[in-house]
Amino acid sequence: MIEVHELTKRYGSYLAVDAISFEAHPGEVVGLLGPNGAGKTTTMRILTGFMPPTGGTARIAGYDVMADSLEVRRRVGYLPERVPVYPDMTVSGYITFWAKLRGVTRPRAQVDAVLERVNLADRRNTLIRNLSKGLRQRLGLAQALVHNPEVVILDEPTIGIDPQQVIEVRESVRELGKNHTVLFSTHILSEAEQVCDRVVIINKGRIIAQGTPQTLRAQLQPGVALYVEIGGLGKEAAARLLREIPGIESVERQGDGFAVRASSDMRAALSDAVLHAGCRLLELRPVAMTLEDIFLDLVGRGN
Amino acid sequence: MLRGVGTVFGREVGQYFASPAAYLIAFALLLLTGLMFNSDLTFSVTQKAADPALIPSFLSFAMVFFAPLLTMRMLAEESREGTLELLLTAPVSDTAVVLGKFLGAWFYYSLLLLVTLIYQVILAAITQPDLGHAICAYIGIWLYGGATLAVGLVFSSLTENQIVAAFLSMSALLLLWLSDLAGEIIANLDLARLIRQLSLQGHYTTSFAVGIVRAEDVAFYAGIMAVMLFITVRIVESHRWR
Repeated sequence: MIEVHELTKRYGSYLAVDAISFEAHPGEVVGLLGPNGAGKTTTMRILTGFMPPTGGTARIAGYDVMADSLEVRRRVGYLPERVPVYPDMTVSGYITFWAKLRGVTRPRAQVDAVLERVNLADRRNTLIRNLSKGLRQRLGLAQALVHNPEVVILDEPTIGIDPQQVIEVRESVRELGKNHTVLFSTHILSEAEQVCDRVVIINKGRIIAQGTPQTLRAQLQPGVALYVEIGGLGKEAAARLLREIPGIESVERQGDGFAVRASSDMRAALSDAVLHAGCRLLELRPVAMTLEDIFLDLVGRGN
Repeated sequence: MLRGVGTVFGREVGQYFASPAAYLIAFALLLLTGLMFNSDLTFSVTQKAADPALIPSFLSFAMVFFAPLLTMRMLAEESREGTLELLLTAPVSDTAVVLGKFLGAWFYYSLLLLVTLIYQVILAAITQPDLGHAICAYIGIWLYGGATLAVGLVFSSLTENQIVAAFLSMSALLLLWLSDLAGEIIANLDLARLIRQLSLQGHYTTSFAVGIVRAEDVAFYAGIMAVMLFITVRIVESHRWR
């Protein structure tokens, strides 16, 4: 549904997006994950037909974003990061305007349906200037959905709204995945993990990893991480004891115990060694690396 | 194309009727034209015949200030609120967006013009005015107004700030208006004629205002509108390259 190939965007000498390639299949929720300034918004603006790329191609539903811009725009619903509104219009007036502009044949029915869907039906005659930030976010979503597009592109839809509404927005993004292909950007990792079928991690305009949250974790987590706490031995001596066990790669102090990295699951060997040295094993547990750690690790390596 | 123009046009006209500023502009314009008409009527009782082109001729000056007020919001606000990004990702051409906005402004101006016809009605009730002359003047000021609105739209597209847009377009229109006078004080006849040909006034005062419709004047105003709208479309388009 979305095919991006070697896409590049240059602003003068600044390279905002550097030859990125990724795909989103029908009915998939794909997350663009990266720190601020990574090139997420630029990528989205190219996909919505707002700006032309410097190099590479991007296709939506088989149409090139440059050559068949109007066809692409007909099939895309877009919610920019700052919800663009006309403060002097009513909720239904605003949605009707976008419905008509995008060629919806029976705007009234569609507008009613979409307002119902985002839970704004009771506010239809409210002036937009009187809506709270969370409600504006829903209004923005309604605007992006009113023409029932095949592809929905959401730029950081959970920024600046309260936690309850963040949960609502995440749920509605998941819902959208059932009928639309969704591309959404975020810099919050747990969010990408919760909402997306696939995550594309970008930093400084380059893709540094992509895959399902599970495969990303499996691929990128080097070896096994364990947390160990040993009793009856000084810190220095305990650390030395752990380092001497064959197969242990690194030992770092963490709180009262140690974070240990090994190439394979060393729990049995480790407990044997500790007991053999006449100490007590107070705690031993595997530590699952979160996407957060992986991300920081990757971005850190990139720098 | 038509759908885009129509939708944008509809929103702009609706916006005029929803905004207090547009009513204020209408109020000020009608107050001023009313005062003008009243004093002219007083004079015409004793000293001279009533001028059928009085209101249009006054508007030819007033539009220097009123056209920027009517257009300053149109594109400056879109780009400030970020709605321009949505407009430019909607399946309509940039030309349709600009054309819709321009026609919206011109339509609202036409309505104001229609309201001022009340003075002609009053005049017709008390005397026998030269109707052909008045109609001519009205056609002229209608085109003239369209040209000034198109100039206003250019400056609205240039900036995110409405005040800056209004100030710049007033300056530009004042210059176009004054160049008529400048033409009169230049010794070199060819240059003077050229400058006069380029001024907004030059195509109104000697033709429409005295009851003549000349194709060249109609073409001049239509040309100004076309050129200004073309420039606006290009400036809007340039948002895609920033």
